[in-house]
Amino acid sequence: MAERSTLLSLSRRRLLITTSAAAAAVLLATKGLTPAEAADSPREGGDITFLIDSLGDTWIPNNSAISSFQGHIWGHVTDKLLYVDAEGKVSPWLAERWEQNNEATEFTLHLKNGVTFSDGSPLDAAAVVANLDIWYAGRKSEGINPIGLFPKTYDHAEAVDPTTVKVYFKKPTLGFIPTLGYHGSILISPKTIAQPAAQQADLSKTSGSGPYVVDSWKEGDFVKLTKRKDYNWGPAAVGHTGPAYLDTITYKLVSEPSLRVAAVQSGQADVAYNASPQELESLKADGFTIATPRYLGFVNGWAINTKLAPYDDVKVRQALQAGINRQEIIDTVYTPDWKLATSFIQSNVPGATDQSALLAYNPDKAEKLLDEAGWIKGADGIRAKDGKQLSLTLNSNPYLATSKSIDELIAQQLGKIGWKVEIRAYDVVTYGQKVKYGGAAVPAYEVTRSFIDAGTVASILTNANNGENWFALDESDKTLNDLRDKIASAGSIESRKPLLDDLQKYVLDQGYFIPRTQIVQRIYAQSPKLTGVVYNGVAYASYYTATKSE
Amino acid sequence: MSKAYLNYAAKRLVQAIVVILLAYVFTFVVVSILPGDPITNVLNNPQNGFTQEEIKEIIAAQGLDKPIPVQLWTAFSGFVTGDLGLSMRTNRPVTTLIAEVLPSTLVLASAGLAVALLLAAVIAYGTQFLSKGYGQGLLRGFPSLFLSVPNFVIGLVLIHLFGFQLGVFRVIEPDSFWATLFAAIALGIPISAQIAEVLIANLDHESRQEYAAVARGRGLGQLHLFVKHLLKPSSLPVVTVVALTIGELLGGSLITETVFGRTGLGSLVQRSVSTQDLPVLQAVVSLAAVVFVVINLLADLTYPLLDPRVKLLGAAERRPTTADEGSVDISNVVTS
Repeated sequence: MAERSTLLSLSRRRLLITTSAAAAAVLLATKGLTPAEAADSPREGGDITFLIDSLGDTWIPNNSAISSFQGHIWGHVTDKLLYVDAEGKVSPWLAERWEQNNEATEFTLHLKNGVTFSDGSPLDAAAVVANLDIWYAGRKSEGINPIGLFPKTYDHAEAVDPTTVKVYFKKPTLGFIPTLGYHGSILISPKTIAQPAAQQADLSKTSGSGPYVVDSWKEGDFVKLTKRKDYNWGPAAVGHTGPAYLDTITYKLVSEPSLRVAAVQSGQADVAYNASPQELESLKADGFTIATPRYLGFVNGWAINTKLAPYDDVKVRQALQAGINRQEIIDTVYTPDWKLATSFIQSNVPGATDQSALLAYNPDKAEKLLDEAGWIKGADGIRAKDGKQLSLTLNSNPYLATSKSIDELIAQQLGKIGWKVEIRAYDVVTYGQKVKYGGAAVPAYEVTRSFIDAGTVASILTNANNGENWFALDESDKTLNDLRDKIASAGSIESRKPLLDDLQKYVLDQGYFIPRTQIVQRIYAQSPKLTGVVYNGVAYASYYTATKSE
Repeated sequence: MSKAYLNYAAKRLVQAIVVILLAYVFTFVVVSILPGDPITNVLNNPQNGFTQEEIKEIIAAQGLDKPIPVQLWTAFSGFVTGDLGLSMRTNRPVTTLIAEVLPSTLVLASAGLAVALLLAAVIAYGTQFLSKGYGQGLLRGFPSLFLSVPNFVIGLVLIHLFGFQLGVFRVIEPDSFWATLFAAIALGIPISAQIAEVLIANLDHESRQEYAAVARGRGLGQLHLFVKHLLKPSSLPVVTVVALTIGELLGGSLITETVFGRTGLGSLVQRSVSTQDLPVLQAVVSLAAVVFVVINLLADLTYPLLDPRVKLLGAAERRPTTADEGSVDISNVVTS
């Protein structure tokens, strides 16, 4: 008997290895096919350990749901109304279907029946209204923030019946639907929402409707999740709706990056988050799975301050656009897992168009433009005009570990065509104080930011409706403002598409935004035993569909 | 108890309280003049997309827009009534945060101290009884070596060797027995250096004394001589050094906790410093101040009771540095 079971488990293991290898191969070949479809019967059970560099600060859902660390846990403990996949495609989840009026000011959401939070309360229309209200307004006097990226045009929502919610906006808000599948829009039990901030900050007292519940946690140490056996409402888009396969997921804080990787290499843990790009090639060679999913958002690049000389001159900005060798950044600082920027938004964002021609490396063109603009090369190789040197101060982004290396490389590239580049590196606190869009001494503000819907981009760039005025243009650029207004009032995705294309072309051609590379902000190094991981539109790994072989 | 003593005790008690309150105010002022706080840091993160109006409103709701003296008064009046408040970073009660991490640090610090004492004793014994040709000089060099190798380097080497190569412990379970032992070794090695230095110097001094020569002449064994006769008089200054290393144990455990992935007071302080979480920093600094002040207060109040010759006067005459079997013998004071 014992012998037989050994034989069985051996062959089972071999089978699993074969199927997971096959699944991986199929996944690589046909991107988008979900692993659940590739493997016949996923293995039940198993525990995984995920090593992470930090577990952010607070656990108040509103204040932490968009943290790049807490997002991992919220993704398993809570659900959303809609699912947004890595390609930005929106599909039903807890909202089975939805309608909107022609002006995109009123939306009706139809909810799935029978969904419950882990505290037993139903996820019905009233619960959704409670969530929408707190996402929009927060309870600021109690220290519960609104969700910054929730549409500020929100008016109110009402429960028509237990499974129907109507949502009203003051102005057209096409971005509302994708917002529901994104970042902070996690559904929390109304009982949790009613609690004061200090209670909500205790993760174990927070109930969501997700496939996992919090088993135990310790501040700054670990969070252990166990699966919810009655879970039956996963997003159809991932090809699985029942309970998760893995029994537990433990997020363990290990702040030393080399230790995270070494622990996975030695089999003590299953996933290491945020390994350095330089380590990836050797990990791959050893058979580990490397995932570098991109999120939906802006590429990594600079918003140029057009108020600050000489960047008030379009020729200087265009010279900057042409003077950067983007391929060299990928070859030197990154690995082939990183992609060239093709616009100022990531290429997987719906509505992104290919503007590579405007981003081609052309040092001759750059030199010519600078000559025309009156910046003449001196004996020291640095260009000058009216006794002033052509200079660029870069403030390396402390939120992105590789930022400074890229700045150094660009300094060399620009140096060749006569730019004097100075690099400053601040810590997060100082950076937040000193470096702002259009700041007096900030010619180029480095952007890394995800967003929900390309439609929101135009108004962020300008100063209309509390926009952030990225290029310090105020109201001076009529073309940009026209595009912004047309995009904002567009009633459908189709009519908006050509306008978005025009916007991308215009912003890049004017040299308002200087892309560097598409951004990968989350890097996963993972044991080959773990398969079936799905990455969503914010590049978070979901282990809901994952299985682990022995 | 004499009236003079009660006067003295009351004076010392008031002094102690003033020191604690001053430590509180000092920390508040120092952290307040630094730029930033956890709430503003979160709001400034460009990923969040808050408008300027929202940022202002949230900061006002937290009272962070008020002048620093007003904020200090609010925090201070909470502190004297025993309310340590909520952490700005986590929104959880400061007392809960500290209670969660304190046990882990106490275990690590006491294990680290035990390792340091053991190591110091072994090294010191070796320097007395190994013959010159067999590594005595080498042993005498150990303390300087230990002091010069940073404790995180020792930690990383131990982790890679015993955690990954030999698999003695799992890095992801830092609170297990073996992981704690290796963390204590990493923490104890640099601490042992100073203790060993003082111990060796005193042993050298004691072994030159007549009584040691007499003992040797009577044919006492080395270990017996060491333990029975030399260790005790040499240990008294060591007690002073150990008391002084308590601060270093806390500092060292901060680094050791980070390297080994332990969650303790050190890592709480580290996170609170990097985000300027004022209420937590206040509580930790006050806790440290209370510990030091209480130990000193107890010592100060006890000496006059134990030794009537101690005058109830200023600090200089208050406490004998060492006391050899009841007689104040200056020759036994630290000789290093």
